[in-house]
Amino acid sequence: MSTEAPTTSEAAAPAPGEAAIKKTLGIGFWICIGWLLVMVFVAVFATRLPIPDPKFNFIKPGQAGPSKGPSAAHWFGTDKDARDVFARTMYGARVSLTVGFIAIAFGMFVGGTLGILAGFFRGWIDRIFSFMFLVLLSFPSLVLAIMLTALLDRKLFTISMILGVLAVAPVGRLARATTMQYADREFVIAARSLGAKNKRIIVRELLPNVAIPMSALALLGMAVAIVAEGGLAFLGLSVERSITWGGMIQLGSDSSKTLQNQPWIAFFPIGVLFLTVFALNFAGDRVRTYFDVKEISL
Amino acid sequence: MSELQTELRQEHQPLLEVTDLRTHFRTERGLVRAVDGVSLTLERGKCLGIVGESGSGKTVLSRSLMGLLPSSNTVTSGSVKFEGKEILGLPSKQMRRLWGREMSMVFQNPMTSLNPLMKIGQQIAEPLNLHLDMSRADARATAERLLRDVRIPEAARRLDQYPHELSGGMRQRAMIAIALACGPTLLFADEPTTALDVTVQAQILQLIGEQRRDRNMSVVLVTHDLGVVAGHTDEIAVMYGGKLVEKAPTSVLFAHMKMPYTMSLMRSIPKLEDPSHTRLATIPGRPPDLVHPPKGCRFAPRCAYARDKCLTEEPPLRQAEDPNHSYACWYPVGSPEFNQREAELNNGAVPVTLEAR
Amino acid sequence: MAITLLFAVSALTFGAMNVLGDPLFNILGPIARDTSNPKSVKLIEKAKNDYNLDKPLPIRYGLWVSGFVRGDMGVQFSTDGQPPVTELLKERIPRTVTLLILGQLIAVLVSIPWALISASRADKFVDRLSTATTFMLVALPGFALAIILKYVFAIRLGWFPLTYRALDPLQTRLFQMLLPGFVIGLPAAAIYQRLLRTDLITTLQEDFILMARSKGVSKSRILFKHALRPSMFSFITVVGLTTGALIGGSIVVETVFRIPGIGSTLVEAVLRHDFPVVLAIVMIVATAFVLINLLIDVVYTIIDPRVHR
Repeated sequence: MSTEAPTTSEAAAPAPGEAAIKKTLGIGFWICIGWLLVMVFVAVFATRLPIPDPKFNFIKPGQAGPSKGPSAAHWFGTDKDARDVFARTMYGARVSLTVGFIAIAFGMFVGGTLGILAGFFRGWIDRIFSFMFLVLLSFPSLVLAIMLTALLDRKLFTISMILGVLAVAPVGRLARATTMQYADREFVIAARSLGAKNKRIIVRELLPNVAIPMSALALLGMAVAIVAEGGLAFLGLSVERSITWGGMIQLGSDSSKTLQNQPWIAFFPIGVLFLTVFALNFAGDRVRTYFDVKEISL
Repeated sequence: MSELQTELRQEHQPLLEVTDLRTHFRTERGLVRAVDGVSLTLERGKCLGIVGESGSGKTVLSRSLMGLLPSSNTVTSGSVKFEGKEILGLPSKQMRRLWGREMSMVFQNPMTSLNPLMKIGQQIAEPLNLHLDMSRADARATAERLLRDVRIPEAARRLDQYPHELSGGMRQRAMIAIALACGPTLLFADEPTTALDVTVQAQILQLIGEQRRDRNMSVVLVTHDLGVVAGHTDEIAVMYGGKLVEKAPTSVLFAHMKMPYTMSLMRSIPKLEDPSHTRLATIPGRPPDLVHPPKGCRFAPRCAYARDKCLTEEPPLRQAEDPNHSYACWYPVGSPEFNQREAELNNGAVPVTLEAR
Repeated sequence: MAITLLFAVSALTFGAMNVLGDPLFNILGPIARDTSNPKSVKLIEKAKNDYNLDKPLPIRYGLWVSGFVRGDMGVQFSTDGQPPVTELLKERIPRTVTLLILGQLIAVLVSIPWALISASRADKFVDRLSTATTFMLVALPGFALAIILKYVFAIRLGWFPLTYRALDPLQTRLFQMLLPGFVIGLPAAAIYQRLLRTDLITTLQEDFILMARSKGVSKSRILFKHALRPSMFSFITVVGLTTGALIGGSIVVETVFRIPGIGSTLVEAVLRHDFPVVLAIVMIVATAFVLINLLIDVVYTIIDPRVHR
C-alpha cells in the first residue's frame, strides 16, 4: 500500500541520551587483564623478586612439625617439607603460563593455517584436514594428553607441544568454518575477479577477518591449556622436576589427613590457579562479546 | 430514536467499553506511542472491524484490550471495561481467569501459533481442562465436536495429529476451535486470514461469522484489508499512527466515508472488475514514527488533500451526519477544500504530498 | 564413516605406542639393553616372541585388531601373574560407567530445574547469580573442584565418606560414588543449564507461547508443558556430546576419590609404561566416544516429529 518514499518524520536521528548497544569491554575485563599481567610479571621476574627460595626447607630446630599455617613470615604457610608455599606458588606460575602460552600459540598457528587452507581450497584438502581434526577430536583431550606424555618425555617444550597439538583441532575447525563463511562473500569474489592469486586472497582478504574470532579464542584457549596442564601435573605427568600448581595441589591433597589439617598447602595454589583461569575466561568472554563472535567452543 | 429505545440503551451495558486507551512502550529510542487515545464500545454479539496499515497500532490495540502485553516496559492508561468491570492493568493471575474462558484470540500465523510438538486434540483440551475442569474423556469428546463445528473433516483422526500434518486453512480452523473451546463472549481475531490463500480466506471469515451468530459472541476483527471487513462486520474503526481516525457502522462507512485515508484504503483494494494490469493505487510514504509523531494530523504528511492546518493542528474526533459515525479530519471527503483538490487531481495535477514540498 | 574413524584412531594409537615408545624396554626394563649377557638375550628373545615384537608393524597392528575385536586385548606388560588386560578392564570398566551415569544423571536433574528458574526470571537477580555461578564452575579445573568438595563435604561436614572402597557392599559403594558424581556432574550441569536457559528464553518468544497465554495457561505450566520440550533439542545433543569430556574428567575424580576404574588404571599404566593396557583403554574410550555421537544423531531424528516428514 505504500511506496518507498521516505518521510521526514522517520529519520532515524538518535535522540539525545539514547543507549546504543553496549559494546565496551567493561571494568571487569580490565581487572582480569590486570591480574594476568601481575601473574606474567611474577612468572618472568620470580627469581629476582624478594620472595623466599621455593626449594629451601625452613625447618628450625625444635619445632613441632615442618608444616605451618599462614603467618607474617610465610604468607601462604609452609608445606610438608617446610617449603614456603607462597614462593612455590609464584614459581608455579612460570610453568603454567609458559605451557599455556606456547600451547595456544602453536595450536592457533598450526590449527589456524590448516583450517584456513581447508576452508579456502575445499575439495580433497578439506576432506583430509577435516578428517584429521575429527580423529584428534575422537579422544577425550585429557586421555590423549596422558597417552602422549607416556610416550614422549616430560620436558617443558614437549608438554607444551602436546597441549598445542590438542588445540589444533578445535582451532582448526573454527578457522575453517569462519573461512568458509567469508570466502563466499563479495569482497573475495571481487578480489578474484581483479586477478588476485589465491595466496594474496588468503593473506590480504581472509586472514584479517578470520583473525578476529580467533584472537577472541586465544584467551579462552589459554585458560583451557592451563587447566589441562594443571590436570596433568596433578596426576604427576607434567614437566618433571618443576614446581607446578597441579603438583602442589596433589601434594597438599594426597592424604586426607593433610587436606584436613593443613588445607593451605592445597588451597592457596588452587586459589591462584582458579583466579588466573577465571581471569582468562572472563576476559576472553568479554572479547568475544565485543567482537560479537558466535559459536566458539573448545 | 424513541424515548423507549434511548432508555433501553442506557440500561443495557456494552460488552466492551474502551475509554481513551493509551499504550506506550519504553524503548531505547524513546517512548513508542503505539496506541494513543482510542475509545470505542462493542455490544454483545456484534462484530467490530479494526482496520489499519502495519504500524497503525491495531495489533497492539487488540493485545492491549485483552491484556496480553508483557508488563515490563509497557505503560498503559485509560480504561477498558469488560462486562462493566475494569480490566486494564489487572495482574496476570486475575486475567488468566478471563483468558480462554470469557475472551480469547485467534492469531495471524497458524503455523507458528500452534505448539508444533503438541497434538491438536491436546491443544484444544487444554483450556477445557483448565477452565471447565473437564475429564479427559469429556474434553476429548468436546474437542472432537469443536473440530466438527469448524468444519474440519475427519475430526476424530485430527485430534491425534500434529499441526504440521494439517493444511494452512485447517490449522486456522483448529485455532478457531481452540479459541471457541470454552464458549467465550468476546473473540479477537488478529489478521486471521492474512497467512491464508484467498479461497480459504472467505471460508474462514464465514466460519467466524457463523460462530458469532450461533453463540451470540462478540468479535473484534483486526485486519489491514478493508475488503475483509466489508462483508463481515457491524462496525468499522480505522486506525492510523496509533489513533482512531474514523469509526462508523459498516454500511455507513462505505457509503459516506469522510477521512481521505479511509478513501485511499478503499481505492487501493484491487477489484475484480478492473482490467488486467491496472496499476494498484498506493498510498505514498511510510507510517509515522511513533516515538516522535508529527504535530498535526498524523496522516497529513502523506495525504494528497492536506493543507497547512493539517500539519499544525490535530483534528479532533467529530460526529458526522449519522450519530454513530465519527471522524478526525479538517477537510473531509465532501468538504469544499476536498472537492477543490479533487478537481485539481482529476485535471492531471500530480499529487504532491506535504512532506515533499 | 564411523568405522573409518575408529580404524584411524586405533592405527594412530598403535603406531604411536610402538614407534614413539620402546616396548621391549618397557617389558624387560634395563635388561632389554643388555645384549652382552646371554641370559638377557634369552629373555629378550622370549619377550620378542611372546609379544610378536619382531614382526613388522602393520602385521602387529592387524594381530592386535583381530584380538581386540574378539575381546582379547593382550597381556599386561608388567610382572607376570597379573591378569590379562581384558580381565583387568572387565573388572574396572563398570565402576567408571557407574560413575559417569551417576554424574550425568545428577547433571541433568540439577540443570533442568536450574534452567527453568533462570529462564523464568531472566535478567533478574537470581538469573545473574546463576550466570556467575556457572562461569565459576566452568572455570574451576576438575581436580580443584574435587578437592574443594571433598574438603567441605567429606572432611569438614562429614556428610560423605572420604574414599571408595571396592570391598564394601553395593549400596555403600553407590553412596560413596555420590560425591564424585557431583564433582563430575556439577560443571556439566552448569553447561547444560546455560544452554537450556538460552533455548528456553528463545522459545518463550515464539508465537505459540503467546497463544498458550491467551488460553489462560499459567506461567509455570507454560514453562513445563509448552516451552520445555521444543527447547530440549540442543540440550540432548550437548548431554550426549559432553559424555566424552566427562570421561576425561573421571580420570581425575577417580584418582582423588580412589575409585579403581579405567581412568585411574590408565594413569597407573602410563606411569608404568604398560602399553597394552594404555592402548586398550584409549581404544575403548575412543570407540565409546564415536558410538555415543552416533547414538545422539539417531535419537535426535526419533524425538523430533517434524523431522519425520
